[in-house]
Amino acid sequence: MTSIRLLALAATAALTMGSAISALQAQELRIGLSAEPSSIDPHYHNLSPNNMLSRQVFETLVGQNEKQALEPSLAESWKTLDDNTWEFKLRRGVKFFDGSDFTADDVLATFKRLPAVPRSPSSFAPFIAGQTIEKVDSHTIRIKTTAPAPLVPTSLSTFGIVSKACAETLSTEDFNALKCQGGTGPFKYSEFRPGDRVVMERNNAYWGKKPDWEKVSFRFLTAAPTRVAAILAGDVDVIEGVPPSDMARLKSNANLSVVEELSNRVIYFHLDHFRETSPFITAKDGSPIKNPLRDLRVRQALSMALNRQAIVDRIMEGQAVPAEQVLPSSFFGTSQTLKPTPFDLAGARKLLADAGFPNGFKMKMHGPNGRYTNDTKILEAAAQMYTRLGIDIEIETIPPANFFTRASQGANGDPEFSFILVGWGAGTGETSGSLQALVGTFDRTRGWGAANRGRYSNKAMDEVLTEALRTVDNTKRAALLARASELSMNDLGIIPSHYQTNVWASRKGIKVTARADEYTLATGITR
Amino acid sequence: MTDTPISPAMLAGAATPVPKEETPFTRFRKGFFEDKVAVAGLILFSIIVALALLAPLITPQNPYDLRSVDLMDSRLKPGSVAGEGFTTWLGTDGVGRDLYSGILYGLRISLMVGFLSGLIAASIGMAVGLIAAYAGGRVETILMRIVDLQLSLPAVLIALILVAALGKGVDKIIFALVVVQWAYYARTVRGNALVERRKEYVEAAQSLGLSNARVVFRHIMPNCLAPVIVIVTVQTAHAIALEATLSFLGVGLPQTEPSLGVLIANGFQYMLSGSYWISFFPGLALLLTIVSINLMGDRIRDVLNPRLEK
Repeated sequence: MTSIRLLALAATAALTMGSAISALQAQELRIGLSAEPSSIDPHYHNLSPNNMLSRQVFETLVGQNEKQALEPSLAESWKTLDDNTWEFKLRRGVKFFDGSDFTADDVLATFKRLPAVPRSPSSFAPFIAGQTIEKVDSHTIRIKTTAPAPLVPTSLSTFGIVSKACAETLSTEDFNALKCQGGTGPFKYSEFRPGDRVVMERNNAYWGKKPDWEKVSFRFLTAAPTRVAAILAGDVDVIEGVPPSDMARLKSNANLSVVEELSNRVIYFHLDHFRETSPFITAKDGSPIKNPLRDLRVRQALSMALNRQAIVDRIMEGQAVPAEQVLPSSFFGTSQTLKPTPFDLAGARKLLADAGFPNGFKMKMHGPNGRYTNDTKILEAAAQMYTRLGIDIEIETIPPANFFTRASQGANGDPEFSFILVGWGAGTGETSGSLQALVGTFDRTRGWGAANRGRYSNKAMDEVLTEALRTVDNTKRAALLARASELSMNDLGIIPSHYQTNVWASRKGIKVTARADEYTLATGITR
Repeated sequence: MTDTPISPAMLAGAATPVPKEETPFTRFRKGFFEDKVAVAGLILFSIIVALALLAPLITPQNPYDLRSVDLMDSRLKPGSVAGEGFTTWLGTDGVGRDLYSGILYGLRISLMVGFLSGLIAASIGMAVGLIAAYAGGRVETILMRIVDLQLSLPAVLIALILVAALGKGVDKIIFALVVVQWAYYARTVRGNALVERRKEYVEAAQSLGLSNARVVFRHIMPNCLAPVIVIVTVQTAHAIALEATLSFLGVGLPQTEPSLGVLIANGFQYMLSGSYWISFFPGLALLLTIVSINLMGDRIRDVLNPRLEK
């Protein structure tokens, strides 16, 4: 007994010392990130962790708030002069870290650099494709497009502006070696150690509200249990990507607080719309059958047999919301009339029988293991539900990199699988990008259907979406996008399952602004 | 008892009673049962095998039949009553699978994978080792360099790559485990066979004009069996652990046909959140299985090792 008491005493002492130490370090914020950037060059790779970090150092012309609504940043205001011309007024009095002034020339240099970054795995050039930029005066720029382009401000919210000096002379390696002093953001990089951490220091000459922290270190703790253990031990002050299974434990801990926000990521099933016979679907005796997924009634049956609420409650432990379209209805361009399909097993069985499959069929479902929260378990739960519907289900989970390659392009260049679990986050915060990528008719030259792994094609939807992408008026465009959402969702181009919620945990007294885009920004963390 | 061979005891003197016929097997049995720990291992192992074999008769749920697994029963504490009315003595996992049923069915897979891969690897390895030792020369060099190459790479790594490339399934796991195991047998058998082939009985067999195949497989092979039996026990335990490792890493067996490794992996994320039983009980089952095999293996090695003979 005494030894146990001693142990408890020692533990208490250690805890008190821990908080004393963290009080001393209060000017430093330590954040545990769930993913690592591939570079700190803001234009090298269009990848969430890269964008998240660089947003705090290299500001964008147009900002996105925590709900992903656009807000002024380096551009103070913008307007359309005619359908094909946008004018942006740049903020005056902004200085780069090296003391030079931010002017239109820097924006022009950044535009020039975007398509010219060597060996970029995924460049930002598509965002400015079809745009010509011209300087009106030192703090005004105009962007001309070949066709009406309502998404110009959105596209300018995706990449940071670097000074002309950096843009013209520095390579990605130079950026990684911290040679660029050409950012305007609230923080500047002071250390980049791949595999370990990125450290930022406060920019004391920042034009906007100065952040609470002198120094912020972002540590790469990619395994969820490691992140949870780190915040419990007090090694970090904030973690992102709290796994649902640890929510209850973290919430009940008096030293921690937890915040959550509905994310822009939908988890859904993509199904084979384009093959006459689908490779992983057969009759129950193994003989080939016509692809049943091309029959709307079968798709409806599969949607009705999916108990979304059970997935949300049981697997996501409440950290999700049943989904009905590509983005939650609070986002721009969503339909307000669509509702998540209610669970109705009897109705689903009847639809399946009406479609000519009273005894079901056999189907193999595929999914990644470890890309989305609880992906394997969701697939297994769906397998249970579809088995009850009368379909013989097999599932196979595949490591993510391999899975996505095969799901997009199998051996013969077509998507390999019949029925897959996938997810999609809308970086732009509105529906046009998601609809175009997920349910737009696959067309490599137009850039449509990039993630349409079921090769769904709906002419009526394509037309409405094309119309929306040409409509500059926000109200009209929102209505068109809602219409396109309804056309594709009522036809079940995909079967949406749920929207994830993003969860952050922080030490008591540190307040985190939860964001829909999953970004953890030190500017949004206050004391 | 008319045919009793002349034993040293009989030659030593008539005073000593004639011992019962002592075949290598009875000698082995006697040696084995002398060790209480090994006997405990054998009993434990027999119970595990019996439970695994009887699984369909003594479990309340068929964990492979998705119809009987209900998401609404997920993460029930040990001793709770599931929706279908039975009591889950070991609790349920994250998708509602009864862990007691899951563990027994998982044991079937783990044991089958372990033994089948061990037997196949032993057969291949023995053949390669014997051929290398008997043929000598270039054949031996080539075969043994392949073995060296194989042994220089970590087993987990090779298995991981193979299974990732082949896909999931019991047959693929067995194949991968055979690939990573056969070299151990080949190496050991070759060493033994090199010693044996210089012995007089081989020379005698050869001078009788027997075919090479007959000399190798009927005469040399039986004399190399002792070390193989020892390696089979060690490697079976190793194979079971390796299968669990692969499944834990998500490349082994399909999620809907859980082996012990899959069950442990399923519970891993709940370790910090209090649902300890999802990983704990399958882990315990895996531990007991491997320990029981190793306890027997240790004693078998001692009994069969001529250098340790009293």
